Amino acid sequence: MSMRIIAIALFGLLALSSCEKEISINVPPVDSELVVEASINQAIPTLNYVFINRTIDYFNPQLNLNGLNDAEVYITEGSIQGTDTLYSGTRWKFSLLSDSLLPGVYANLTFTGKENTPYKLDISMPDGKKVSGTTFIGKPPVIDSMQYWFQIEGKDTNSFFWMQWFDGPEQNNYRMAIYNNVDSLLLGWGAAQRFYTFDDELINNAMRPFRSLRPYSYGDTLNIYLSSIGRREYLFWESFGSAANNGGPFATPIAVKSNISGAIGSFTGYAIERKRIVLRYPK
Amino acid sequence: MIGAAVRIANSNRGAVTNSYGFFSLNLNENENELHISYLGYDSKTIKFKPGKEIRLNISLSPVGLKGREVVITGERSDKNIRSTEMSRIELSGEKIKQLPVIFGEPDVLKAITLLPGIKSGGEASTGFYVRGGGPDQNLILMDEAVVYNPSHLFGFLSVFNSDAVKNIDIIKGGMPANYGGRLSSILNVNMREGNNQQYKTSGGVGLISSRLTFEGPLQKGKSSFLVSGRRTYIDVLAKPFIPSRLSGNSYYFYDMNVKGNVILGEKDRLFISGYFGRDILNFQSPQNKDVFFDFGWGNSTATLRWNHVFSPKLFSNTSLIFNRYDLFNDFTFGTNGFNVRSSVQDWNLKSDFTWFPRENHQVKFGLNYTYHTFQPGILSGSLGSTSINQAINKQFAHEYAAYILDEWQVNQRLSINAGLRLVAFQLVGPYTQAVFDNETQLATGESKVYKPGETIAFYPRLEPRLSGTYLLNSESSIKGSFTQTYQFLHLATTSGAQFPLDLWVPSSARVKPQLAYQYALGYFRNFKQDAYESSVEVYYKPMYNQIEFRPGAQLFFNQNLENEMVFGEGLSYGAEFFLRKKAGDLTGWVGYTWSRTTRQFDALNNGQPYFFRYDRTHDISLLLAYQINPKWSANFVFVFGTGNAVTLPVGRYTYRFGVNPQEQRPEFAIVDVYGKVNDYRLPAYHRADISFTYLAKKTEKWESSWNFSIYNVYNRANPYFIYFYPDIEKQEVKAFMVYLFPILPSVQWNFKF
Repeated sequence: MSMRIIAIALFGLLALSSCEKEISINVPPVDSELVVEASINQAIPTLNYVFINRTIDYFNPQLNLNGLNDAEVYITEGSIQGTDTLYSGTRWKFSLLSDSLLPGVYANLTFTGKENTPYKLDISMPDGKKVSGTTFIGKPPVIDSMQYWFQIEGKDTNSFFWMQWFDGPEQNNYRMAIYNNVDSLLLGWGAAQRFYTFDDELINNAMRPFRSLRPYSYGDTLNIYLSSIGRREYLFWESFGSAANNGGPFATPIAVKSNISGAIGSFTGYAIERKRIVLRYPK
Repeated sequence: MIGAAVRIANSNRGAVTNSYGFFSLNLNENENELHISYLGYDSKTIKFKPGKEIRLNISLSPVGLKGREVVITGERSDKNIRSTEMSRIELSGEKIKQLPVIFGEPDVLKAITLLPGIKSGGEASTGFYVRGGGPDQNLILMDEAVVYNPSHLFGFLSVFNSDAVKNIDIIKGGMPANYGGRLSSILNVNMREGNNQQYKTSGGVGLISSRLTFEGPLQKGKSSFLVSGRRTYIDVLAKPFIPSRLSGNSYYFYDMNVKGNVILGEKDRLFISGYFGRDILNFQSPQNKDVFFDFGWGNSTATLRWNHVFSPKLFSNTSLIFNRYDLFNDFTFGTNGFNVRSSVQDWNLKSDFTWFPRENHQVKFGLNYTYHTFQPGILSGSLGSTSINQAINKQFAHEYAAYILDEWQVNQRLSINAGLRLVAFQLVGPYTQAVFDNETQLATGESKVYKPGETIAFYPRLEPRLSGTYLLNSESSIKGSFTQTYQFLHLATTSGAQFPLDLWVPSSARVKPQLAYQYALGYFRNFKQDAYESSVEVYYKPMYNQIEFRPGAQLFFNQNLENEMVFGEGLSYGAEFFLRKKAGDLTGWVGYTWSRTTRQFDALNNGQPYFFRYDRTHDISLLLAYQINPKWSANFVFVFGTGNAVTLPVGRYTYRFGVNPQEQRPEFAIVDVYGKVNDYRLPAYHRADISFTYLAKKTEKWESSWNFSIYNVYNRANPYFIYFYPDIEKQEVKAFMVYLFPILPSVQWNFKF
């Protein structure tokens, strides 16, 4: 947070005097690698999917999903037997949704995740490459309370909200998405507008508050998805947050910390608590 | 006076005063006359009665300078040939103030980057890179106190107020045994003592800051004081132009230097100096009135020095020094908030002796002890009903050094400086070493507890130093040097440039001391009775136990910072060419450096060597100073450098898939894939600056001058960084180069009374 605000302040100073111009540049071609985003949860069917694409050269003009349509994708339910985890339960095949509209997106509308259950991902590509990973859907957090308030700023009314939940004594990791839409159907995590990834290093075994710092507009309908995730999944999303917001003079090359083998990416089991809040004075 | 020349009349023998104005000479029976000279002061001839031991206290009176000369202040003009010191350069405070600089603000650290072998980190950086070393490998001393972060204004300016600076000297190789602690260089910034004749006030008003200095005698002719302060007013100047919704934001810096010296007796003198400076940034979110962010950092130093003359052949300087670098940030949002504090602090006691045991030998020896305290972070605050109190464990360390060196004039041609420095670093408790799981980065619950004073790590090391000069004739010499140096403190940074939040961390059980060897060879030649100096030096410098951080490492408030470190090696070699004209109306220098600097880390770049970010194959500096007439003088600077080596993304992929139901199209983020480390070169950096100084008025009681300067005269767009912009709407990818400062004129008014 501090680095980000300092960077904003410095950029503000630099903006007074800095300029930019378009340049022509040659970068070497990249060795293509598989990229996998696999998401499952226990509550929301539209958030169970596997998205597969490839790395491409930076100046490749294709700026779309670049999905791969010819993979075989399976997710197998597991169980914990003592200290062992076995993946011998129900095996779901995830099929391509639409090769033209949503290339590379695989789903199974009958799949329902279960709390406190491990899962295994297996992907086979036509060229023989294989990708695998494991995850765990834990127990969802329980949002204890929520509040909202308003600030008048000229002609605008800025809206903010606050909520809290109890963080237990065990080590917990969270990912939160806020989807500002009257229609609460979140089709893929990327449709949300704001994301947060955090653990319980600062607040553990206590009430954990969250407060929106950036305002919403009066009348916005917020759909809040607060999820418990595993530690490896948390490390991936934390590194993803750095990698996806990496730029400027202080940028350093960042590689995400994948929790799958055979590809860049993650397999994340979300234990989701979902709440809706309408930022409007009660009628 | 530092570096005043003392010659025996009718002889070619003499001496140069040391940092405390002390000198010693062995005289023959019939030698009873000395000539003393120092630039800017009337020369003096002293006759005395010969005797066994003669002690002289000599003072010189200043004169008005008739011409502005770019000479090294107060040295023997052939010192560059005769001295065993190679790779050492001095600049006077007056010279620094004349150099054209950005916004018209004279700056010590910008000035030294005009010297060969010393490279700038860029326009928004006070970090400097000496012979392939990183910015933390330079020991920066202000009146002997370590300055951990020499930056104001996020690196645009340094903490050194040029009005308070007497001179600087930088050693980039051939480091004698009385210096140590960093691998690449020692930068000594010596502050002025104050006018011991009369009270004077001076100052300057510039575009972004103003400064004021008051000085005078405590005891006329014998002791003096100086107080100098500076503050920027960017916050005041910008206020009328800032939209009201941003009016809660401000930035400013200030600093103050205080110095005094007192004569305790014929053999004793006491010096006191201090510095205090701060940068303060206040930020209020324009979108949320409840969100405030206050951020500040700064150095504090205090030095108490005692000079004692035991005899005409033995002199000592003992110093007690305190220095501290503090960082704070307070983040408030509504009734919640948290505060972070971090600091590094030293108490240092050192004693240095200079002894002239016999003809042709000058022996120096001394002891140095430092007690370090590292506080990486304390976090306190509240979120809702929950209080937060966390701290990264404090660390404590002792650092010791003892040295002896002999400057030996073997014969008329050969001089040798041989020395040995014994150093040791001891990290001690109290400390709790938690054990972390490297995969999850979580504490396992196991820990090792160290009691107060218990040793956690101990590193005793020897540092041999050797340099020599062989006079080929009265105008030329060959020099060579070998140094072995260790460094026990390391700067935790990922940006490649120094940043206020960067932490200094000590060597530990896991983090070994850095090590460098440096071999240097040089040929030095003067022309036209020392009016021209020239030199060519080559160096070779392997470095070991170098530290980098993993890409994406989280340094802020990380309990397991050592896990983010990776270790490797570095290599730097090059050749430096230097030509300087020291006399006449036109003076100046030109320097050219060819060099190569690489790093190799098993954990980075697939273990392959890669160019250091600030590797600069070609580096050119040209400085010209011309006295047009008694009123007007001009300075011109041209610099050229090969572009920085940077890592660019070579590929990308899409991630965090979603569908926008209103617009019925996919949503996703684009993530960059990076290529080989530092495999791309930014375009070359070059620019020219020019400044004119007009002496408006000069009387006995009042002096004022105007300085007009233009930075980047031909408006070169020098690259600051490159970024790529994938435009999803237009389905195209573009590359942009950001550059900082176009042509920038500035004006400054200086006064003295």
